[in-house]
Order: sequence, then structure tokens, then C-alpha cells
Amino acid sequence: MDNALVQPDPGLFVWTILVFLVLLYLLKRYAWGPLLAALDERQAGIRKSLDDADRARKELEQVQQESEAIIGKARGEADAIVSEARSDSAKLREDLRRQAQQEAQSIVENAERQIQQERDRALAQIRREAVDVSIMIASKLIRRNLSPADNQALIDEALKQIQPPA
Amino acid sequence: MPQPHQAEPTEHATDHAVDHGAEHGEGGFDAGEVIIGHVTNSSPDHPILHLPAVFGIDFSISKHVFMLLLVATAVFLLITTTVRRYLQQERLVPDGFMNALEFIVEFIRDSIVLPNVGAKYVRTWAPLILTFFCFILSANVIGLIPIFEVLGLIDHTVLHTGEHSLVKNIVHGGTTATANFNVTAALATITFFAIIIAGTLAHGFIQHWKNLVPHGLAWPVYILLIPIEIMGMFVKPFALTMRLAANMTGGHIAIFAILSFVFLFAQAFGSNLAGIGVGLFVSVPLAVGINGLEIIVVLVQAYVFTLLSAVFIGMAINVHH
Repeated sequence: MDNALVQPDPGLFVWTILVFLVLLYLLKRYAWGPLLAALDERQAGIRKSLDDADRARKELEQVQQESEAIIGKARGEADAIVSEARSDSAKLREDLRRQAQQEAQSIVENAERQIQQERDRALAQIRREAVDVSIMIASKLIRRNLSPADNQALIDEALKQIQPPA
Repeated sequence: MPQPHQAEPTEHATDHAVDHGAEHGEGGFDAGEVIIGHVTNSSPDHPILHLPAVFGIDFSISKHVFMLLLVATAVFLLITTTVRRYLQQERLVPDGFMNALEFIVEFIRDSIVLPNVGAKYVRTWAPLILTFFCFILSANVIGLIPIFEVLGLIDHTVLHTGEHSLVKNIVHGGTTATANFNVTAALATITFFAIIIAGTLAHGFIQHWKNLVPHGLAWPVYILLIPIEIMGMFVKPFALTMRLAANMTGGHIAIFAILSFVFLFAQAFGSNLAGIGVGLFVSVPLAVGINGLEIIVVLVQAYVFTLLSAVFIGMAINVHH
């Protein structure tokens, strides 16, 4: 082959393979290997941080929901406590009022009863004294002693007249 | 060797091809020879550095070997220092060139390697595919930059070293290594073996070869299919070889052909002014346009070689029939 463009050149062929393989080895060892590893690592890092961010957001949402639930529950409980206290106090007030009323009533009743008793007793006393006075006056008037049986009959008769009809 | 008279005055019109025109033209300007001299390897008789042959293979450092070593060294130093500096940081914040490198690495890993090879083998094959891309792209790009032509011009005008001196040989090293089909064939051979290794890693050595043809067909089909698949095995790297080499050669030939107009016109009209005029108004604008196109081609070819290698490796791993 005379044409220099298509001149076979085994030396160049072998040189090319040698040069390329050495270059491939060196680049793989010192450049591509570490670089590809670093790129993969970075990719993994980005993916991981995105995942982490996602997870953190979800957790945050969950925590927010939980805290909202807790706050809601606490608010409900507080409401319940307040209303219970309110009803308790109302009941207590009502009880106290009723008790006081009852006490007052019983005091009044006692007083009335005592007054009644006193009055009855006074009335009986007055009647007895009135009888004694009447007997004394009557015995003075008739000037004679009646027998105790006569006396008693007379007293009963007189009492009947004095005592108001039952 | 007499300096050709027509080359000298037009040196300022273009910085391409001038010194080579001077070297090859003897009496008349032979555009074909200049172009071929530019895009081909140094002749086996005049390598940059003579090395002894091993097993009958000449291991001398020719232009293209020199370019390969240069590209490999540049790629290794650039990428390794960038990556090391990046990884030494406390927090991995890419800056400067690392941004571009990270984009390339992630693009190749996620858009080329991953869809073809599958998630399981990404870390196995990404380094190879990445190295393919960086090496081929760098070789393509360095071939596109006429740095050595400029140095050659300096040598030609200032240093005046003798023919085939070490300086001259190194300075004339500026060609696209990937435009030589020996180089691309070697790269495709690596793909060829990578396919076999990928299939073996994924399915075992025997099963890899069985996977070449779909199973469960009538035996007469196999008589047809097995040779076709075996042919296909070699056609794949062959296509890789030719596509890259031809694309890299084509653009350079077009640029040199257009720049040759300068000398052809100067010769035809016997006037340097004609050459300068053509150079200013035709050759340089056209060459600039083609150079712009070449920038795209350089990227696309590196991408295509890389992508197809990944696709072939992926086909051996994920067998669909």
C-alpha cells in the first residue's frame, strides 16, 4: 500500500493500546474512581437529606397534631372542671341556703312551741290562782267550810265554767 | 534543499501549511503531497525518536505516537489535578474547570453509560467510557489547534534547524492522532475486547458467545445467522475505526486544500499578490468556517465513538433478541 493515509502501522497500533490502557488505569485509579464515588456519595447525601427533611416535616406535623389534640383535650378538661366547680358551688350554695332555712325554721318553730308552752303554763297558773282566789272569796262569802268532797265538786264545776269549751 | 520561492512571501497571509509547503514543494507546489504530509504520520524512516523494533514491530516515536503521549499526559494531569483538588475540599463545591468536568462525567454516566449498560455495571464501565471520551476528544481538539504549525513557522523563520533534526521532528508533530486509522483501530480493538469482557462478566464466557444469536430457532436459520453475527462482531469496531479516522482526516484535508489555493494561485499567476488576495478573501474565511464546523465534528465524533462503545457493551450485557 503506497497511500500514506492507509499505511498499516503495527507500532502505532500497539502504542495506542498501551497508552490508552495506561491512561485508563491511571485515570480510573486517581480520577474516575474517587470522583464517581464522591458523586455517588453526594447523590446519596442529597437523597438522604431530602428524605430527612421529609421525615422531619412529617414528624413536625404529627407533633403539631398531637399538641393540638393535647391542647384540645386540656381545654375540654378545663371546661369540664370549671363547669363542675360551678355546679358544685351552686349546689353547695343551695344546700347551705336550704340548711340555713331549715335551721331558721326549726328555731322559729322551737320558739313558737316554747312560747305556746309558756303561754299554756302561764294560763294554767293563772287559772289555778284564779281558782284559789275564787275559792277564798267563795269560802269567805258563804262562811262555811265545805267538805273536801264538796270543795272538789265545786272546783270542778267552777273550772268547767272558766275553761273555754274545748 | 532549496527553499521554494513561492512559499516565502505568503507566510503572513496564513499561518497554516506555510512551512510544509516550503518543505515539500520542489520547484512546483504539490498540494496533494503537502496535504498528505500534514494529515499522515511521519514516514517510518524519519520518526521523532528511533526505538528498536520488538517482535518485528517498529516502536519508534512517530508524530502520532508523540501526539498520543502528549494527549494522554495532558488529559491525565488536567483531570487528575482537577479531581484531586476538588476532592481535597472540606465541602465538595466544584469550581472552575471542575464544573465542566463534573458536567461531562455526570452526562456520560447518566446519559450514555447508565441507559445502555444498566445500573448494575455503571461503576464497572463508566471509567472506560469516560476515558474514551476524554482521550478522543482531547486528541481531536489538540489536532485542531495549529500550535505545532506555529512552532514550525518559528523554527522555519528563526531557528533554521537542519532537516530531520529532533526540533524539527517534534515541531512537526502537530497532527490529529485520531485521524490515523491505526490509532482508531487500536481504540476500537479495546471496545471489541470490552464487549467480550462485558458479556463474560454478565453471563459467563460460554453464555456470552451463545448470546450472540437468539436461541430457539430452526437450525437452518443458524447457518445464516451465525456467520452474520460473527461478521457483525468485527464490523462494529471496524465501523468505529473508520468513522472516527475518516471524520478527523476529512476536515483537515478540506482545510489544507482550501489553504493550498493561496500557493496554487500564486504559482498559476506567477504573482504573490494573487496568492495573498485569494488567501485573504477566499481561503482564510472558508478555512475559518470549516474550522468552526470541525469544532462540532470533533465533539460529535468523540461523543459517537463513546456512545457506540457504550451501546455495544450494553448489548453484550442486556441481551435482547
